[in-house]
Amino acid sequence: MELSWIEGVLALTVQFGTVYLLASLGEIYAERSGILNLGMEGMMIVGAAIAFVFTNALGHLLSLVSVVLIGALMGLLLAFLVVTLRLNQVVVGLALTLFGYGLSGLLTQPAIRARIMRALNPEVPEVRIVTQQAEALRAVKVPVLSDIPVVGPVLFSQNALVYFALIAAVVMWFVLFRTSIGLAIRSVGENPSMADSLGINVFRIRYVTSVIAGVMGALAGAYLFIGYQPFWVEMMTNGRGFIALALVILASWSPIRAVFGSLLFGGVEVIQFRLQLFGFAAQTPQFVLMLPYVVAIVTLTVLSVESVRKRLGVPEALGKPYYRE
Amino acid sequence: MKPLKLRDRFLSAGSHYIDVAIRIPLRIERRLEVPASVSLAMTVVFLALALLFAAFLMQALGIDAMSVLHQIATVFTTRELLTAAFLRSVPIGLAAVGLTVSFRANFWNIGAEGQMFMGMFASTGIVLLHAYYGLIPGWALLPAMAAASFVAGGLYCALSGVLRSKLGVNEVLTTLMMNFIAILFVDYLVYGPWRDPRGYGFPLSIPFPPEARFGGLMGEAYEGLALLAVLAVLTHLLMTRTTFGVDVKVVGENPYIAGIAGVRIPRTYFLVNLISGGLAGLAGFFLLSGIIGRLRPRASPGYGYTAIIIAFLAGLHPILAIPAAVFMGGLIVAGDVLQATLNLPFAAVQLLQSTIFVMIVVAEFVKRYRIIWRW
Repeated sequence: MELSWIEGVLALTVQFGTVYLLASLGEIYAERSGILNLGMEGMMIVGAAIAFVFTNALGHLLSLVSVVLIGALMGLLLAFLVVTLRLNQVVVGLALTLFGYGLSGLLTQPAIRARIMRALNPEVPEVRIVTQQAEALRAVKVPVLSDIPVVGPVLFSQNALVYFALIAAVVMWFVLFRTSIGLAIRSVGENPSMADSLGINVFRIRYVTSVIAGVMGALAGAYLFIGYQPFWVEMMTNGRGFIALALVILASWSPIRAVFGSLLFGGVEVIQFRLQLFGFAAQTPQFVLMLPYVVAIVTLTVLSVESVRKRLGVPEALGKPYYRE
Repeated sequence: MKPLKLRDRFLSAGSHYIDVAIRIPLRIERRLEVPASVSLAMTVVFLALALLFAAFLMQALGIDAMSVLHQIATVFTTRELLTAAFLRSVPIGLAAVGLTVSFRANFWNIGAEGQMFMGMFASTGIVLLHAYYGLIPGWALLPAMAAASFVAGGLYCALSGVLRSKLGVNEVLTTLMMNFIAILFVDYLVYGPWRDPRGYGFPLSIPFPPEARFGGLMGEAYEGLALLAVLAVLTHLLMTRTTFGVDVKVVGENPYIAGIAGVRIPRTYFLVNLISGGLAGLAGFFLLSGIIGRLRPRASPGYGYTAIIIAFLAGLHPILAIPAAVFMGGLIVAGDVLQATLNLPFAAVQLLQSTIFVMIVVAEFVKRYRIIWRW
């Protein structure tokens, strides 16, 4: 009995951590190539909104495909503004986030939502149009592995996007640190003019990584909705895109360490949830709700201590536009 | 010389002088100084482009964009609505004036929203001290509220500032996170200890007494606008006529040089934070005292973020922040009206604002270059 309770908490931690994992993986690629993507929050909320509207009209698969496409578009927009026009990355990121909030609010407004859904699928039943919910992704048990005690229910009885995130973390780590493409990405983030003189197309690399950031961010939002909490609430990302940015620093720009970081922040959210469930601070849950933000600030502060910072290895050209002389 | 392709022109736009006259009959030069007329013209052109783009997007979503644009125009031509726009422009303008200072110091304060909430917290605290304990006489209420909100907002911002100047913590992320914390803190107060005992259980503070309400003489909109104007001019003078203003500029452009020149950097940052967060705190004070009249949860629907857009729209000039704030205030009022008449969500205004934001930043880019046609 005791075990299953722990299993439940751990499984929830993995489920929640996946939101952060998907977002921070994308952000790691962008930041490794020198782009600080403050628009992650906006990409996530648009991803969630698209997942909400499109899943009800077209089902999961097509909805995820559209999420990927929209995410890629937002990534392209980011790249155009900060790579080609070399605009200030903080400002552009913030603008993209506000744009994402606005766009998601409009997309999900009942009348507009109904029009989009009918255009996508004329046969969509009325119930699906008025509902604030959507069908959640079903958990897929991995044969054999899901029978292992503790690890089985925690890791191998999740939905497809959780598996995708974990596999993506490994693949993205491998590409970043063990292939020439990864070397090119990292060198562009460390010393773009050097990379340029070695024949790497700095602009192309940065375009690619921002598209990756956009896609992963949108997927993170989509997962938040259809994978975790399939009930639409305005601005449901609630600053998690920004927390993902703090997490990237905590993970010191490594996809594998991002897995552990996201489990930490996933765990914080689960604790927050459990505390409320146990009636702790039931009247005034606000202090418990502050936890993720407080943890993020504390993390950032601890990581900024000089001795720690030296070992982190911030990408040298992070946030700096590249001018070809 | 080998002919350059159009693509190369873009890639090498960073150098001062790029000759592409070989193939295309135009030349792009980087301006060393942007004349004010060009700057203004570009801002207007890109504002129009932003409206056009947003209208296009809305039309694509099935919203009647013409009626949206018409409503915006109506706001600026109708007396009552224009007064409402003035009223809304005060809090966002106050916060924006503060942001011009911190952005000039290259301190990326994204936390005006949270600092506004701290200002609301402080001014409500003063009102409660007056109402429950009689500690503050009625005539001193407004100045005390204003001062308290300024200090609360300023110190809240300085917290991020200290983290940055002592430990090098990225202020963008800390100020952002602290927005969420401040909003939840105010939530806690109005749902908990500060809830009006006679408020039928609604999460509201007691209504502010008349002595705590701003604008008793000529209406809150015009008195607020006067306050905004005075503070904007003071900030402008501070930035242009004092050594502090020079310090801010130097620290913003190159902290290393500033250190060599003997500027006390942590002190400069602290004062910048105090002014920037303080004005945002004052914005929170005005929002309650001048507009809402009591503390309620989520009293600011993202005005702190709107203020960032205004600061950029004004080109980080404190006085120009006033017209920019009136324009954005008008958009907010138009949004309110549209919500009632067309059942459009607040998101439509957000979309419009963020499009303007992007276009203004693009305009900043375009302003720096000059296109010369050679036939």
